[in-house]
Amino acid sequence: MSTGALLIGLAEIWLYIGAIVAVAFLMFGIGRIDEDARGSYTFRPLLVAGVLLIWPIVLWRWISAELIGLDAVVSRDKPLRDAHRRVWIVLAVLIPLIFIVSLAVRQITPEPGRTAVQINPTAE
Amino acid sequence: MSVKYTPVQWNRSKVFYDVVVLALVFTYVLTFVRLAPMFTGDVKSADGAIVGARAFGTCAFLMLTVILCIGPLARLDTRFLPLLYNRRHFGVITFFVALTHIMFVINWYFNFSPTPRFEALLTSNTSYFQLLGFPFETLGLLALFALAVLATTSHDFWLRFLGPRLWKTLHYAIYFSYALIVGHIAFGSLQSQINPTFTIVTAGSALLVCGLHLAALNRERQSDHRAGGGDWTHVASVDEFANGLARIVRLANGDRVAVFRHENRLSAISNACAHQNGPLGEGRIIDGCVTCPWHGFQFRLADGCSPSPFTEKVPTYALKRVGDVIFVSSKKNPPGTYVEPLNMAAKE
Repeated sequence: MSTGALLIGLAEIWLYIGAIVAVAFLMFGIGRIDEDARGSYTFRPLLVAGVLLIWPIVLWRWISAELIGLDAVVSRDKPLRDAHRRVWIVLAVLIPLIFIVSLAVRQITPEPGRTAVQINPTAE
Repeated sequence: MSVKYTPVQWNRSKVFYDVVVLALVFTYVLTFVRLAPMFTGDVKSADGAIVGARAFGTCAFLMLTVILCIGPLARLDTRFLPLLYNRRHFGVITFFVALTHIMFVINWYFNFSPTPRFEALLTSNTSYFQLLGFPFETLGLLALFALAVLATTSHDFWLRFLGPRLWKTLHYAIYFSYALIVGHIAFGSLQSQINPTFTIVTAGSALLVCGLHLAALNRERQSDHRAGGGDWTHVASVDEFANGLARIVRLANGDRVAVFRHENRLSAISNACAHQNGPLGEGRIIDGCVTCPWHGFQFRLADGCSPSPFTEKVPTYALKRVGDVIFVSSKKNPPGTYVEPLNMAAKE
């Protein structure tokens, strides 16, 4: 089995588990932990794809909210303090570096005056 | 929130925003398909699928560039705030444009592969240990996966369920996906570009995004009034407060506090909105409530509570005046705690 086939197989298993979590959470769990979701059904299909992708976080939050309540689990007054600054100090170096390295290894340099030549006109 | 969730909370301005974005995407793709072959000699005889892939790919990159410029632009100039209001819809549309790009690629380059198409995509190039010929496809796939997570967790339910801190941490992936996309383009398409136009556009876009974010950080650093430690933190002199606006002070523990003047009374609340942790101190007072500049969530000055029927709350802080100087308590009150506003005329 190739690495690609293995990765796709793992992704399928991930999505199957996510589908089970999505059915359980969106049919039964969501209304139990979030009063704004009670009696509101039309928005729930929009959440399916999100649950499929991040089902471990959903399970963890769901179980925690069942035990101590959603408001106790979720902290709304603890913002990320310096994360944006740290991220952009790294990216402001990384992004230009990626670009420069890619141009350095490039084997064709731009030639504005050059036009494409069709080697074999009969190939079309 | 204290209103029932709906699939999409559209209002007139959001509908207008979405229609404009979709119209621009449509116009860009059509224009690209018509004009690109004139500028890129290498696709003169190429199949329409390649041009389509390039049209949607470049469109997604430019859309992501614009999205990442909106945040810092709104910090630098409040005239850009309306663009921020519906940025999540913009992001979801960008994901679908990027998805269309990869469907064009899969259906063209891997359609007749003896192995399944997605498996072929992952195994066709595995030169991970060399820069020349690096598998740029993987960079694009990772970025697409990040965009998928962001798009599928953009509903307001996710903000409430995950909380602003975890939600924002998750959504910081957009920054790294931008770096991945720059790598995807630089090690992919740009390696064989004869015409320098797209190289220049890509470099300019990436530099613009980096430059704007650094400029916004610099602005924040300059406006951030850093104060010393202790139980009370210096904010400003009484005459430095403009009516209806705030002064933002950064406490020793890193928390930011917005001290608002409303008529002749001062109140201090957390600078982080309970919705998406937007900068309340950069907002205005409307109907006696602080109004977040990002999405319009409102909070009363005295107790940090949203007006009924909403239930959001932010922490409040005590203030005191010594001579002509205002100090804020370094101790945060629990969200929703009432604090009597400080009368600017009264001296300690």
